[in-house]
Amino acid sequence: MSISLLASIGGLTTVGLYLITARSLSRIILGFSLLGHAAVLSLLVAGGPPAAAPIAGGDAPIANPLPQALALTAIVISFGLTLFLLALAARQQALTGDDLVEDDLEDQRIAASSNEEDRSAAAST
Amino acid sequence: MIWVFLIAHVAGVGCAAVAGRSGIRTALGVAAIAPTLTAMWAGVSMASGAPPTTSTFPWVDGLGLAFRFRTDALAMMMTLLVCGIGVLVFVYAIGYFAPNAGGASRFPASLLAFSTSMLGLVWADSAWTLFIFWELTSITSFLLVGHNNTDAAVRIAARRALMITGGGGLALLAGLLLLENEAGTSTLTDLTPVQGSAANVAAVLVLIGAATKSAQVPFHVWLPGAMAAPTPVSAYLHSATMVKAGVLLIAVTGPAFTGLAVWKAVGLTFGIASMLWGAVGALRHRDAKLILAWGTVSQLGLLVTLLSLGTAKSIFAAVSILFAHALFKAALFAVVGEIDIRTGTRDITELGGLHRTMPIAFAVAVAAGMSMAGVPPLLGFAAKEAAIEAVLGLSGFDAVVGATAVIFGSVLTVAYTTRFLITVFGPGPTTKVAPRRIAMTIPAVMLAGAGVLGFIAMGTVNAIVRPAAIELNPKAEVYELLRWPGITTGLLTSLGIVAVGLALGAAIARRATPRIPAPVGADGADAAIDGVLKFAPRLTGRVQHGSLPVYLVTMAGVATLAALPLALDGSTDHLVAWDHPLQALLALVIVASAIAGAFVGSRLGAALTLGAIGTAMSGVFVLHGAPDLALTQLLVETVIVVGFVIGLGHLARRFPEVENTWRLTRLVVSGLGGLIIMAALAAAGADPSGTPPVGDLTAGAVEVGGGKNVVNVILTDLRGLDTLGEVVVLAVVAVGILALGSTTAREEVQ
Repeated sequence: MSISLLASIGGLTTVGLYLITARSLSRIILGFSLLGHAAVLSLLVAGGPPAAAPIAGGDAPIANPLPQALALTAIVISFGLTLFLLALAARQQALTGDDLVEDDLEDQRIAASSNEEDRSAAAST
Repeated sequence: MIWVFLIAHVAGVGCAAVAGRSGIRTALGVAAIAPTLTAMWAGVSMASGAPPTTSTFPWVDGLGLAFRFRTDALAMMMTLLVCGIGVLVFVYAIGYFAPNAGGASRFPASLLAFSTSMLGLVWADSAWTLFIFWELTSITSFLLVGHNNTDAAVRIAARRALMITGGGGLALLAGLLLLENEAGTSTLTDLTPVQGSAANVAAVLVLIGAATKSAQVPFHVWLPGAMAAPTPVSAYLHSATMVKAGVLLIAVTGPAFTGLAVWKAVGLTFGIASMLWGAVGALRHRDAKLILAWGTVSQLGLLVTLLSLGTAKSIFAAVSILFAHALFKAALFAVVGEIDIRTGTRDITELGGLHRTMPIAFAVAVAAGMSMAGVPPLLGFAAKEAAIEAVLGLSGFDAVVGATAVIFGSVLTVAYTTRFLITVFGPGPTTKVAPRRIAMTIPAVMLAGAGVLGFIAMGTVNAIVRPAAIELNPKAEVYELLRWPGITTGLLTSLGIVAVGLALGAAIARRATPRIPAPVGADGADAAIDGVLKFAPRLTGRVQHGSLPVYLVTMAGVATLAALPLALDGSTDHLVAWDHPLQALLALVIVASAIAGAFVGSRLGAALTLGAIGTAMSGVFVLHGAPDLALTQLLVETVIVVGFVIGLGHLARRFPEVENTWRLTRLVVSGLGGLIIMAALAAAGADPSGTPPVGDLTAGAVEVGGGKNVVNVILTDLRGLDTLGEVVVLAVVAVGILALGSTTAREEVQ
C-alpha cells in the first residue's frame, strides 16, 4: 500500500473537513469536492495495488475493476452535487449579498424562547 | 369470544362519544351496554364452569410477538369486578352528573375506554399485551382525572398521576424485557422461576412498575391528588380496578420471582410502608374522599405485603381481600360522592348527623365500613380472617415482620374506618341535604349489599376466589373463606384488633382535626416535573443552537473517535513509499494544492487549485491502471472549473472575511480526522479479507456483458439500474441549476 496515496487521502480529508466547517458556502463546496476525491482514492487504495487496465483478453495481470466502477459513480455524483451547491451559492449571493451559512432560525428561536422563560421566571420570583 | 367483547367495548367508546350530543346521561347509558354484556357473560360462564380459553392474534410473527389473552379463573374474577363494578359506576355517574354537565361526549367515552384497557390488562397472557394495556390505563386515567380541565389544580394532579404511573411503566418495560430474556418466554402463565443478577434487576423494576400503579409509598403521592377526579372515577379507578393492576402484576409475575430474596424484601418494604403510612394518612385528613384514598394506599399495601410473603395461604388471602376491597371501597366512594353532591362538602368537620338525614347512605357506609374493618357478618371479615390466619401461620423472620405489620395495619384500618363513620354520620350539627338521587343510591346499595350477600352465600364467593388463587399457586386449593372459623388464635386476634381499633378511632374522632397541607411528596413530584419541562428547552437551545459548522465539527469528531479502534491495530510491513515515483510527485501536487486552496483569499484562485487537484487525480488514476476513471475525472474537472467560473460571476471575487474564533478547533478536529482515516486505511490494508475476484469479473464481463472493458460492463450491465439512477440524479441537478439560475436572471432583468 502506497504511503504517497495514503498521504494524499489524509491531506485531502484534513483540508476537506477544515473547509466544510467554514461559514462561506463556496468554501464548503471546495471542502466537499476534496472529501469526494479522498473517498475515491480510498476506494482505489482499498481495491489493491496498481496493475494493467482492466481490459479482458490481455496477458498482464489487471487491476481490480470493482472499486473503479464504484469510484466512477462517486465521481459523477460528487460532480452533480458540486455544481448544484454552486448554483445555490450564487442564488444566495443574489438574495442576501453574500454566501454565508447563517445559524438556523428555528433553532435560534428555540434557544431564545428558553432564555426568555428563564428571564420571566427570574422576574416573577 | 374475548375478541367479541373487546370489539364491543371499542365500538361502545365510539357510540358513547356520538351519544354525548344528546346529553351525558344518554351517553353513560350507551357506554354501559358493553360492560353489562361482558359482566353477564362472565357470570354465566363462571356459573357453568366453562373451561379457560386462550386466544392469540399474531402481531409481529418474526419476533414472536402476539396479542395473547386467556380467561382463566383469575382473569374471570377480575372481569367480574371490572365489568360488574363498571356497570354500577356508569349508573352511579348518571346520578352524579347534572343532565347538562359538560364533557358529555368525553367523559363516558373515556370511562369506557378505560374499562376496555382494564379488560385487556386482566385478560392479557403475554407480558407485552399486558404492558400495552397497562399504558392505556395510564393514559385513559389521565383523561378521567383531568376531567375538569378548566381547573389548574386538577390539571396538575392529572399530570402528576400520568408522570408517576408513566415513569413506572418505563421501569416495567425494562423489567419485562429482562424477565422475558431470563425466563425464555413472554407468556405469563408459562413463567418459570428465574435466578441470577439480571433476574434480580428485573424483579426490582417490575416491583417499581407495580408500586407506581398501585400507589405504594413513596410513589403514592399521585393517588390523593387524583381525588380531583369526579367521584365515579375514584370509585372505579382508584378503588376497584386500576390501582389493582399493580397488585395483579405482582401476582402474575410472582411465579417467576417468588424465589428471589430481593423480590420479597423490596415487595415487603413497599407493602408494609404503604400499609402503615397510608393508614396514618387516613387518620389525619379531613376530606372524606382523601380519607378513603389514603385508606386505599393502606389496603393496597396490605395486598402487596401478602403477595410478597408468597405462601399459598397469603396469596389466597390477598386474592380474597382484593375481591372484597373492590366491593366495599367502591361503595364507600359512592357514599362520599353522594354526600358531596347532596351537602356540597366533603370536609368531615362540617359534616355531622347524616345518619338521620341520609339513612340509606348511612346503612351503606356502615355495611361497607364494617367490611373494610373486618367485622362479621361481612365478606371483609372472612377475607381479613384469612389474612390474619396466613400471617400467624408463618415462621421465622416472616412471622415477626409480617404478623406485626399486618396486625398493626389492621388496627389502624379499624381506627380510620371508625373515625370516618363517626365524623361523617355521628352526632353533630345536622347538615342540610339536597334530595336523594336514586341513580346514585342504587349502585351504592348494591355494592354494599354484595358484601353482605357474599358473607351469606360464602360458597359462591369461594367458587370465584379459590380457583383464582389456585391459578397463582396450586397449593391454595386447601384454603377457603369461612363464615365462622371457630374459636381460634386468628379469631381472637381479630377481635383484639377490632376492639383496639374502635377505641383508637373513637378517640381520634373526638379530637379536632387541623387542616393539613398537601404532602411534601406531591410538591416534590410536581417540582421534578416542572424542572424537566424547564430543562428540556434549555438543553435543546444548547445542543441544537443552529450553527452548521458546529454540527459538522461535532459529527466529524465523533466519527473520528469511532474510527479510532480501527486505526490502532495492524502492522506496517505492507506499506511502500510509492507504487511509482510519479505517484509521489502527484501526491505532493494534490496535498499542496489542497492546502493552498484552503487559505487562498480569492475565489478564482480556489477554483484553480481545485482544477489542479482534479488533474493530478487523473494522473493517479492512470498510474493505478484506471483509464476510465482518469478520463471521467478530466471531463468532470473541466466542467466544474467552467461551472466555478460561471458561478463566480455571481459571487464576490474574494471570500467574505468572517471573524473566526475557533479556527484552532477546526484545525485540530480535521487534522485528527485525516490522520485517523489514513491509519484506518493502512490497518485495513494489512489484513485483506481475501483476493479480489478479478478473474471471475473478467470472465463474466466477456460472457454476460459481451464486453472487454470490465469496468464499463459492471456499470452498464451488472449495476445498470444504479447507473440509470445516477443519470436521473444528474438530470435533477441540471433542472435545479437551471431553475435557480433563471430565477436570479429574471430578477436581475426586472
